[in-house]
Amino acid sequence: MNSDLAVQLFIQGILMGGIYGLIALGLSLIFGVMGVINFAHGPMMVMGMYISYWIFVLLGIDPYVSLLLVAAAIFVLGYVIQSSVVNRILDYPEAMQVLPLVAMGLVLENMALLLWGPDHRSPDTALSLKTIWIGSAVIDVSRLMAFGLSAVITLLIILFLKKTHTGKCIRAAADNRTGSILVGINVNRINNLSFGLGAATTGAAGALLLPLMPLSPHLGHDFTLTAFIVVILGGLGSLMGAMVGGLVLGVAESMATLFLPATLKQVVSFGILIVIMLFRPQGIFGGKK
Amino acid sequence: MKMQQEVKSMDRRTFLKVSGAVGLGVAAGGFGVPRLLRAEPEPVKIGSVQPVTGPLAVIGQGQRRGNQVAVDYINSKGGIKSLGGAKLELILGDSESKPEVGRSEADRVIQEGAVSLIGAFQSGVAMAIATLAEQRRIPFLMDVAALDAITQKGYKYTFRIFPTVTDFGQGSVNFVRQILDETGAKPKRAVVTNTGDPFGKGQGGNFIQFFEKSGIPVEIVEHITYPLGIHDLSAEVAKIKAAKPDLLFPVCRPGDSIILTRELYKQKVPLMGVISPGSPGWYEPKVIQDLGKLVYYVMDNVPWVYPQSEAYKEANLKFSEMHPGSYLDTNSGFAYTGILVLADALERAGSTETEKLLEALKTTDFKDHPMVGDAIKFKDNGDNANATTAMVQVLPDPDPDKRVKVVLPKKFAEAEYVFPAPQLWERG
Repeated sequence: MNSDLAVQLFIQGILMGGIYGLIALGLSLIFGVMGVINFAHGPMMVMGMYISYWIFVLLGIDPYVSLLLVAAAIFVLGYVIQSSVVNRILDYPEAMQVLPLVAMGLVLENMALLLWGPDHRSPDTALSLKTIWIGSAVIDVSRLMAFGLSAVITLLIILFLKKTHTGKCIRAAADNRTGSILVGINVNRINNLSFGLGAATTGAAGALLLPLMPLSPHLGHDFTLTAFIVVILGGLGSLMGAMVGGLVLGVAESMATLFLPATLKQVVSFGILIVIMLFRPQGIFGGKK
Repeated sequence: MKMQQEVKSMDRRTFLKVSGAVGLGVAAGGFGVPRLLRAEPEPVKIGSVQPVTGPLAVIGQGQRRGNQVAVDYINSKGGIKSLGGAKLELILGDSESKPEVGRSEADRVIQEGAVSLIGAFQSGVAMAIATLAEQRRIPFLMDVAALDAITQKGYKYTFRIFPTVTDFGQGSVNFVRQILDETGAKPKRAVVTNTGDPFGKGQGGNFIQFFEKSGIPVEIVEHITYPLGIHDLSAEVAKIKAAKPDLLFPVCRPGDSIILTRELYKQKVPLMGVISPGSPGWYEPKVIQDLGKLVYYVMDNVPWVYPQSEAYKEANLKFSEMHPGSYLDTNSGFAYTGILVLADALERAGSTETEKLLEALKTTDFKDHPMVGDAIKFKDNGDNANATTAMVQVLPDPDPDKRVKVVLPKKFAEAEYVFPAPQLWERG
């Protein structure tokens, strides 16, 4: 084992963690406001990747440029899913809320299979093979971009929630639904917006991932699971928690390859999950309930 | 002007009438078909269980297409003549890349009347189906599946046309030795990587065993296993780089091969060559297209199609006609061949009865297939006695569909191999 390798793995872990954070951010936002867990989260991200892929292949626009467009498209998808499905199941028992969203995930996944086929697609974007060298350590430019943009998006979302009127409404609805209805907030609309926003962030994460990994319809579920672990790690409903949880998980997974065979990577993530559940079930940033 | 308009409108009316009549005719014909078919013998049903969805969907769909194109081919030649020209019919099953699903799908297609099974691409799934085939007394032909153990349990109903893991190991070691002898290159260190599924582990571990026994003076300094369907190999490639290898022997699937190659480029890992002991991920059209120059010079020890053979030319023409943008590769080629072998056995058996079909399969001697290798004959345990691998290499060619070339054995070669290969970042 050498220190160069450790530094390299640490850098890669941090950068990957940023993207995990962005994916988890949406999941956390949706849970925070509606109290439902979006099991279609990963497949939504994959949809974002496909849209970004399409725009790149058909129009030649780089994923970093089409990012906003992709986020907007997935926002619409999220908005529609919330208004047509999720709003109807908010008062149902949790077990019943799971099913429509799992089903939605399957629908999206198989839609992608139908539309784009099963191939692994990995277009050669402008930055996908660029690297920066610092001594013997290499930084992957597309990973750095993804990390940077993830951080910016997270910051923007947090500012939006803290400073704008709509943001305050979302927080109010998350805090006390009945109370918000009483003071005249249109909670259904706020729900739609929140789900759309959560979906948009995961769509954006998809666009950021396109230069990094081959795209296939079945990619999504692993990321739902990763996002879930990150959210629990950081604290359900906490946005800062999602970011920090993402970084912790990214570094842990990457550094684990120093000591463990890569096949045990998931053991590390689930191990962390179990430890957190045992000793700090509310997560790193979670408040006491 | 007026005249013209009249003519035009007349035309439209005539068109409507004619198209209406044609439509009726087609509909009537459609209804008439089953009645006509009654005179024909019952179709012979073959159950095809492939991983059509899940992480191996790309390959699974290719497998299913290979099976289907061969069925269409047999039917276009008049079906099974000894059964009165009975047509073949494929009953489709999807293993979802999971053994338990594969088994239940196999069970379903048997219940739907399959007289024989074909599949399953993954050794784990094939193992599950082989056990079921034994219980249900239905012949099971493995078109692709490499794990030796499947045919070492004394099963009577299981046959395999694909080379075993042992054949792969022996083949790759022989080819590597030949390349090093012929070029005089002196690599010192090597890294082996493989996916963590039964095939990957079997293929990787087996290669190491054969390689270490072979006495080739190259040390395997690192062996990395990672899960099937992994999204990120940056940490693994950092580890490969730290091991300072001259050669990389990767066992991949489509997907991880792309991440691996790009990551090798990004982290600038110097290598004399990438030689796969035998795995997918290096010859699929999408991989060749997306990786472009980066996949050049990768060698892969795989059972391959024999492009000069007439059987191949015919099969590939049909395959690429039906599925534009794809060509017959090692897997779909064996899927195609598997159906031909079953059809040949049915022809000689003159019956769909299991025992007769089984006898016919045992005496198979099938030369007219599109793959590299001699006539297919089954050993007592059901393995193909003449199964062999070829060394293929991805070589520069303006047409992406023509980049994968057989380079060894010389008898079947289409081109000279290039070794050592130029580094990934020195390719312009």
